[in-house]
Amino acid sequence: MRAEPIHQISRKGLTVWRLYGVIQTVLLVIVAAFVCYGTYYFEWPPFIYSIAGVVVLLSAILSVYLFPKIRWERWRYEVREHEIEVQHGLFVVKRTLIPMVRVQHVDTTQGPILKRYNLGNISISTAATVHTIPALIMDEADGLRARISELARVAEDDV
Amino acid sequence: MSNEIYRLHPVSAIITTVKALKSMILPVAIIIISNGFNFSFNFHSEHFFETVLLFGVWGGAAVLALVGGIVKWRTFVYWFEDGELRVKYGLFVKKKRYIPFERIQSLNYNEGIFHRLFGLVKVQVETAGSKGGKPEVELTAIRKVAADVIELEMRQAKNRIEQQIDVEQTLEPTPMEEVIVPTIYHMSIRDLLVLATTSGGIGVVLSGIVAVVSQFSDIIPYEAVFHELSDFVKVGAFLIALTVMLILLVAWFVSVIITLVNYYDYTVRIEDEKLIITKGLLEKKRITLPLNRIQAIRIVENPLRQLTGFATVVVESAGGNGEKGGDKKIALFPLIKKHDCLQTLAELFPDMNWHPEYTRSPKRARPFFYRIDFIWLVPIIGASSYFLYPYGLLSLLLIPLTILLGIWQHKTAGYMIDGKQFTMQYRLFSRITIYMEKKRIQSVECTQSYFQKRKKVMSVKATVMSGMTGMTGNVPSLEQRDAETILSWYEY
Repeated sequence: MRAEPIHQISRKGLTVWRLYGVIQTVLLVIVAAFVCYGTYYFEWPPFIYSIAGVVVLLSAILSVYLFPKIRWERWRYEVREHEIEVQHGLFVVKRTLIPMVRVQHVDTTQGPILKRYNLGNISISTAATVHTIPALIMDEADGLRARISELARVAEDDV
Repeated sequence: MSNEIYRLHPVSAIITTVKALKSMILPVAIIIISNGFNFSFNFHSEHFFETVLLFGVWGGAAVLALVGGIVKWRTFVYWFEDGELRVKYGLFVKKKRYIPFERIQSLNYNEGIFHRLFGLVKVQVETAGSKGGKPEVELTAIRKVAADVIELEMRQAKNRIEQQIDVEQTLEPTPMEEVIVPTIYHMSIRDLLVLATTSGGIGVVLSGIVAVVSQFSDIIPYEAVFHELSDFVKVGAFLIALTVMLILLVAWFVSVIITLVNYYDYTVRIEDEKLIITKGLLEKKRITLPLNRIQAIRIVENPLRQLTGFATVVVESAGGNGEKGGDKKIALFPLIKKHDCLQTLAELFPDMNWHPEYTRSPKRARPFFYRIDFIWLVPIIGASSYFLYPYGLLSLLLIPLTILLGIWQHKTAGYMIDGKQFTMQYRLFSRITIYMEKKRIQSVECTQSYFQKRKKVMSVKATVMSGMTGMTGNVPSLEQRDAETILSWYEY
């Protein structure tokens, strides 16, 4: 059994994902409210109420509690001298290996919510693929970017 | 260094114009048809104004296209300097583009019908960065001699870099040294016919017919047709079947003709580390592809061809637009006996192992190949059995069929690691074998679902650069230990 990559992403990332879940649920509640109003106003069949309620409840449980938790537990990465290893996945666990010589460039991105928590995403691009490690502490992300770009020096072959 | 400035052939103005006009035909045709041909130049007619407006706009656009073509031809110049191909064009906004010779991925020659009348070629210069399937530089029409000059310049520039000691020698006007160019593959008429008849081109033709029919939907009197049809049905199912057969036959025939025209005289040659592919009957195409730019090689055998021992060999190469727009999948050998192709490939790429011994997917992984299909299969079977009661039950046959297909897929799934080479084999319907070099692989990914984890199997994906994006090979459900071996092998 191969050892898992050692680093986990920031604990605050879990909070951010929960926040995303809350936002999604709030949007759903708004939609559900409209549907319920419509049901009341146009006298659609009453079971629509229960469907709307169940959808909101499910979204709340899954996207606020369960999915972020599993996702956060699964998310691991490791930057070694010659390659980057990433593991993630909710239902299907993916492990990806990216050799340093293949790395073309590294980006960090930060949206308003991530900024609030001083987090950032880091995207590693090869010629053909892009791999993103989400929700790293900004300093760590900057350090990682610098380190990867240092390690990913000259590629011997084209592309 | 000859800093002579070259121009395009005047015919290029016509070609550019015709191309612009051609792109206008469809919208104009749609407008005319949707108007129901209600045009009239009679001043008193109520359609007069529309007609004048339409033809005015159209004529204006045509004139603009012509002017554009002429301007492009007059202003377009190219020359060679400092080991670069330099291009300049534009009337008000001058555009310049310099391309170093070493960066040129491929040099494609194209001879359309217009070109052949005047002995011209269209040259497309591609680099790895060509965006959206467009070549970096397109010389619309130049004389064949001029096209040869480009290649000569390229070769000279490369020699200059390699052996800067003897500059005078290379500067000598080396007059088109006749290199013996070995042909490594030529498609015989028999193979061409087999290719044409077994290719899946019929789908393309059918969808083309549908597209055309839907364009004309406004003028087809559906109701009348429907009445006709209901009479027709009364005559008998046999006649309908016959008609359908006829349509299919015609479509198939057309697709055969298209393939024949496209692949006529298909030849692959090799010339100093470059593959040169020529083909075409009406429009002659020539594609140049440096060997060291090839990222991976794929052998595709569809079931019919596998049975008869034929295969298609596709090369994946980075960047550029290849033969059709966005994707850079060049069929190196569109149709070849599997046995011969391995031999030829071994000559071309002597470092690779062309007779791999595969490690297959373990037996306990077999259910993974068909189990997931039941998710969509069961509702379909349920629905069709219920709604189309007696005949719908036939859909139950799908179950053994999927299982058989799954077993077949399971039998095909395998991989081999040999030194610096990774070979994968798998199938959906066609058997696909991908040969990749370790240094060409961009990333390797292993995935494992919850169920796979219980059975200790893992799926493996490897991506190489191909065209604009990548090409991913995917072997499902290998032994977990094997998948981990691949990961460890791929590590530095």
